[in-house]
Amino acid sequence: MPIVVVGLSHHSSPVTVRERFAFADSAIPATLHKLRETGLAEEGVLLSTCNRVELYAVTERADRPALSALRQFLLECHDYREPITDEIYTLSEPESLEHLFKVACGLDSMVLGETEILGQLKKAYDLALQHKQTGRCLNKAFQRAFNVAKHIRTETNIQRGSVSVGSVAVELAEKIFSSLSDRQVMVIGAGETSEKTARALLSRGAHSIIVSNRSHDRALKLAEELGGRAVQFEGWANEFEKIDIVISSTSAPHYILDRAKLSPLMRLRKNRPLLLIDIAVPRDIEPEVNFLENVYLYNIDDLQAIADNYLKQRQEEIARCESIIREKAKGLFAGLPPQFGLPGSTRLAFGNE
Amino acid sequence: MNYCLLGAGFVFHTLAMIQRGFSFSRCPVNNLYEAITFVAWTIVATYLLLGIWSRLRFLGAFVSPVLFGVGVFGLMPALDNPYVGKPEFINGWSSLHAALILLAYGAFGLSSAAGLMYLTQEHDLKFHKLRAVFSRMPPIERLEMVIGRLLCAGFILLTSGLAIGAYYLKQTQGVFYKGDAKILWSMLVWVMYLALLLMRWRFAQTGRRFVWGAVASFAFVLMTFWGTNLLSAIHQQ
Repeated sequence: MPIVVVGLSHHSSPVTVRERFAFADSAIPATLHKLRETGLAEEGVLLSTCNRVELYAVTERADRPALSALRQFLLECHDYREPITDEIYTLSEPESLEHLFKVACGLDSMVLGETEILGQLKKAYDLALQHKQTGRCLNKAFQRAFNVAKHIRTETNIQRGSVSVGSVAVELAEKIFSSLSDRQVMVIGAGETSEKTARALLSRGAHSIIVSNRSHDRALKLAEELGGRAVQFEGWANEFEKIDIVISSTSAPHYILDRAKLSPLMRLRKNRPLLLIDIAVPRDIEPEVNFLENVYLYNIDDLQAIADNYLKQRQEEIARCESIIREKAKGLFAGLPPQFGLPGSTRLAFGNE
Repeated sequence: MNYCLLGAGFVFHTLAMIQRGFSFSRCPVNNLYEAITFVAWTIVATYLLLGIWSRLRFLGAFVSPVLFGVGVFGLMPALDNPYVGKPEFINGWSSLHAALILLAYGAFGLSSAAGLMYLTQEHDLKFHKLRAVFSRMPPIERLEMVIGRLLCAGFILLTSGLAIGAYYLKQTQGVFYKGDAKILWSMLVWVMYLALLLMRWRFAQTGRRFVWGAVASFAFVLMTFWGTNLLSAIHQQ
């Protein structure tokens, strides 16, 4: 079958090359139009993300010259004249279809099993569809790719769990609290990880984020971004009564929260469960506090261990996913008239419907 | 699925009990066999009621094996003694008294099943066991809420059951209280659960300690129920 892929991804090329090939969304329809004008392909979808630039095309001739012509097309689009070899890969069927399915499932992603790519792929496809650059063949292939992604998500563990510290924190919180809506989160010390973690909690409905930082201006800024409120660093303990989750990432050289300090605060909170997430190094929270009733303390290593374990689980699923994908790719054109599913068939009449 | 099967079982169980009740023309809670089947029935009833909220249906996973165990125990020979002579208690009060108290034990039983789940999950979360995150158990806060509500419901049922018992005793024997083993024991159980609930409300003894209390209390009830039943003169007819 004549679906081919020409492109480059984080597997094949460094960012210095990838950035040269990136397409702006606005430039994609014109590029696809040009591709079909020149007669190189009948249908096309162009995917451009920070990790990959890939051109999915349907061409009558899936042979070597056609593939190198498409490759040349990609180079010319960006006027790329430097020597280039393995950075750009070209795949024809059945590898091209399998590749498309793998991308849709997040199997080809930097973070194994991530789902963001599926959205990006859908967007790229919609863009091509709107501008009538796709046809029967790519429509079917992409619809199937989205189905396969859904199937794989429900049938395997490839997307199970969280592989980032922020989402692991959310998962922990969901094991402790009935629901995250209306929970109060306190961020002590603003940093990148703490901000991400706070955002992850926020996306699950937690609100009233309270930010405290040595630099009050920074706290104010982050509080505004997260839709919360800033308090003075010295006064964070006063806010503790309503807090359910604490994310701590100060650069303090000593513990800012220890057992002696937390014990009376817990009484004030009527012993409600409290999740403490200490992502600072050196640590902000004395490990002893974990022995207090209803206190759950996780430091950066604990979170990382959970994330790593999920990643391991996902890696163990790769083989299963790949066999599903092979199966689905094989069956894709099985139900169509004979001229569709024959490998190497050269005479195909695709309407530009 | 589990919920529907248990629901179907419940319907048949109810029919069987009604039939038995009518054939003796009173609530079938008079010998150990009937008490056991009745406890099983109350546990299912409570579960089905809670299961209306699909979030709480997870309890089924723990309830079903318990029910099976109780059912097997109930089928042991010599528990279903035929009635000797004409039963002394024939009005509705005694049936209501027994039914309410057994319903209370059903609720306490369910709360301790949820309690065991809580204790496992809480321990795993506290000590950063990976399986805590991987498990599909509900959040511990929700478990604790379920346990609390079940204990409240059970306590109210127990209180009314005991009050009716006292009222009935007054009617038949002219006293509210008798130094009977089972009466003393029931009061002890009542005080135990009252203390548990008070500790939670008034002294913020929540979480692990509270749940341990719930599990231990029911374990105590389980271990001593049959014994005191045998020691009690007025409950041996």
